Amino acid sequence: MTATVPNSVAAEAGEPVRVEIVGRMEQRRRRAAVFFLMPTVIALLLVAGWPLVRTVYLGFTDARLGGSEQASFVGLANFGFLLSDPAWWTATWVTLKFATASVVIETVLGMVIALVLNAHLPGRGLMRAAVLVPWAIPTVISAQMWGWMYHDLYGVVNTLLVGLGILDAPRAWMANPDTALWAMVAVDVWKTTPFMALLILAALQTLPHEIYEAARVDGVHPLKVFWRITLPLIRPALMVAIIFRALDALRMFDLAYVMAGANAATATLSVYARQNLVDFQDVGFGSAASTLLVLLILLITGILLTVGRVRLAADAR
Amino acid sequence: MSAVELKGVEKQFGKTNVIRGVDLSINSGEFIVFVGPSGCGKSTLLRLVAGLEEPTGGQVRIGDQVVNDKPPSERGIAMVFQSYALYPHMTARENMAFGLKLGRMDKAGIDSAVNEAARILQIEHLLGRKPRELSGGQRQRVAIGRALVRHPKVFLFDEPLSNLDAALRVQTRLEIARLHRNLKATMIYVTHDQVEAMTLADRIVVLNAGQVEQVGSPLELYENPSNQFVAGFIGSPSMNFIPVTMVGQGVDGVSVTLPGEVTATVPVIPEAVETSGDRLVLGVRPEHLLLGDAEPGVPSALIAGRALLVEQLGESGLVHVRLEDGSTLAVRQPGTVLIEENQPVQVVLPLHRLHLFDESGRSFRRQRAALSQATDRSTAISAA
Amino acid sequence: MHAKRLVGRGLFYLLVAVIILYTLFPFYWAIVSSLRSGQGLFSTALIPSDPVWDNYVAVFREQPFAANILNSVIVATAVVALSLMLSLTAAYALGRVRFRGRGTLLMVVLAVSMFPQVAVLSGLFELIRWLGLYNSLTGLILSYLIFTLPFTVWVLTTFMRELPKELEEAALVDGASPWVTLTRVFLPLMWPALVTTGLLAFIAAWNEFLFALTFTLSNEMRTVPVAIALITGASQYELPWGRVMAASVIVTVPLIIMVLIFQRRIVAGLTAGAVKG
Repeated sequence: MTATVPNSVAAEAGEPVRVEIVGRMEQRRRRAAVFFLMPTVIALLLVAGWPLVRTVYLGFTDARLGGSEQASFVGLANFGFLLSDPAWWTATWVTLKFATASVVIETVLGMVIALVLNAHLPGRGLMRAAVLVPWAIPTVISAQMWGWMYHDLYGVVNTLLVGLGILDAPRAWMANPDTALWAMVAVDVWKTTPFMALLILAALQTLPHEIYEAARVDGVHPLKVFWRITLPLIRPALMVAIIFRALDALRMFDLAYVMAGANAATATLSVYARQNLVDFQDVGFGSAASTLLVLLILLITGILLTVGRVRLAADAR
Repeated sequence: MSAVELKGVEKQFGKTNVIRGVDLSINSGEFIVFVGPSGCGKSTLLRLVAGLEEPTGGQVRIGDQVVNDKPPSERGIAMVFQSYALYPHMTARENMAFGLKLGRMDKAGIDSAVNEAARILQIEHLLGRKPRELSGGQRQRVAIGRALVRHPKVFLFDEPLSNLDAALRVQTRLEIARLHRNLKATMIYVTHDQVEAMTLADRIVVLNAGQVEQVGSPLELYENPSNQFVAGFIGSPSMNFIPVTMVGQGVDGVSVTLPGEVTATVPVIPEAVETSGDRLVLGVRPEHLLLGDAEPGVPSALIAGRALLVEQLGESGLVHVRLEDGSTLAVRQPGTVLIEENQPVQVVLPLHRLHLFDESGRSFRRQRAALSQATDRSTAISAA
Repeated sequence: MHAKRLVGRGLFYLLVAVIILYTLFPFYWAIVSSLRSGQGLFSTALIPSDPVWDNYVAVFREQPFAANILNSVIVATAVVALSLMLSLTAAYALGRVRFRGRGTLLMVVLAVSMFPQVAVLSGLFELIRWLGLYNSLTGLILSYLIFTLPFTVWVLTTFMRELPKELEEAALVDGASPWVTLTRVFLPLMWPALVTTGLLAFIAAWNEFLFALTFTLSNEMRTVPVAIALITGASQYELPWGRVMAASVIVTVPLIIMVLIFQRRIVAGLTAGAVKG
């Protein structure tokens, strides 16, 4: 009837190391979870896991597209050829330059736009809608639109720059490898800055008002507030956004393919790999190039994660 | 046979012992309230009965069955959640019928059960509405209705009133009490509000740090707390505790020295283990203290002090008195208190109102004479 | 002080105007160009004089553009429906059940979504040909799962986590199995999340280029991005820019309207999908 306090129970058991007992109900839930996950896991293994394994494997063979004869194992030969192919090196530099330039510019510009959007002033709704437009336009279409604007004879970019007196004669932007790369960066910046801005904006909106009010009461200069308070606070979110953008930029294909075609001077690694794989029908060589791109991306991600000291909080709980 | 029985129930989350061996037996038709400070494990204990948590040790029995391995739906319980947890996309009727539908009851049976529950709760006109179209109090009724239709052996309430405003809380409290009286069902109710506990419970279970401190009727806990924790937890404002030194014992009780070198004999049953010089703790409720002179014929101890702070509450006032040794006592005075801050006062401690605790916090049993005197006096006062 | 503030305001709105001009002008220019034909195309006047619809007619006459649009709609719709169905149950497991390896699985899902598509290109090509799905919409639907599925799983898991725990417990007390809880309690509450996630996945599938380019062969099987990328004119060296712009406008306008309607949802979905640092 009355409650006693049996301290003795635990004491008699000699305090064994307790393993958390998973009850029957929890077991049932876990079984259900396995069933629930199964279709997704199978689908991902089928469309991602298996093809990835095959791609890596094919990189060590001399497989050819449509070739009926059995592919044979050639060891590291494909990788050796790759590293001695100047076109691969060009593609690597193009990819790295493109990724670095576009991510840096997008971060800075995205920050500016996010700060503007975060200011509680009229007109921000319109602006948010406006920045979403480039994001919604398919990359291929962006590439075509800008390709037309860059046109050497009739492009509006030339007209504008000549009209403003910045250039004295129209330029063939896409014909020159240097300007072509920057032209591509400009398109990517135009298209993906909104994404960056929205991510930064979301981070900004999580910051408590009080901090800013306190800073204002203390009379801290707004620029100092930005450097000393805002930036450190949103740094983790910013780093994650930068990594996502970097990964995206490193695998860029559509822009380069549509704007510059197979032009070796502006081909990215993705373009290079597909070209070997499909156009030159050299599946082994193309697969090796793909594998190397994955390794490169892993390496860069690792560096970014370490330098940025980011912990991807996939699942804290 | 008891309706619910817990035997040595334990619950660990990882390495934390949340429930540390609870034995409790609940009679059929009883209204049991679990109270305790936050984190004491009261909600976990309720969830163990519900089957939402599974015990890591011990046994949970409902009726004549051990239900440790049974899912909540097969335990014959129904639960009312703190946030109501109504399904937002279903109407009140669908909310109440959902469990019955899953239990494959036929349509006519469901309809009559829902209508019956709605009639009892007077929510017939709300059955077609969705939760977002209902007020807090109405949602609460639908949540209770969802429990009602299941005709459970045991109703479980997890802080059901904490999301309501003060006026509605009182009203709903009364309704739950009425419901219990009409249904004669077993109910277990978790709350941190002691007014709810005192008014609703047949018996209160006071929990602390995963263990049961005391089980008893509301008045039993108030008059005879078994330890210092329960004494301090039950009653508002809290009981005053004064460290004292034991100087002797006899048939009248245990004599102790209060601050200001006053000696008082507390009418408790002395235990052989205590000796003079031991440090004890004296407890007295603010509402039992007086300021000024002792009532004639009531043996009292008097201590001098100074009014530190006066809080006027309207129907009464709370005077915080600083004693000579620096400790403070809260004294509750009916009506408006005319004492000013810093004014010297004399605190009257009627001896039969005193509680005494040993160093480990366990209370001395109070003498029957003192208890009956306390009851006599309160009836006399209310008669006067 | 007051004047300084006014100047600040002015500069601020100038900045806003520049940003809006920068983001909107290219699309505006595409519309303007699409309405010009013949020699008029080479005009650089900012406002078109007497607009003509020749390019729009030509897009549908010179190539199977209607079929391309239909293909895109079929592929994107099917892959979104498939992804949402699969990820709904997966998200319940990942978001609401504790089990060993859950964190790892989520990281794998995230990693797959960030994978360079070209990394699976040859393996997937092989698989699609082996399944006999080369140059078919089914092949595209299957291959698109690689990027839509991780995304929908990830976002729905975040949403699923937000649902109150007590709701699930109430269902448990009512005797609901996990499947019933998911389909009859959570699913009705997940509609907004499903719409948002589905919309974002739809846009991703609609815009996809590499797989569509590689796994289809004939004009009739192409999706819109490939069709637009491969529009050719009379001469190999001069693209029919007017037609390209017209095609671009046709497929972009519905997309933009959709994005503007669901603006808030999209922003919420984009940021919900992003991991917190």
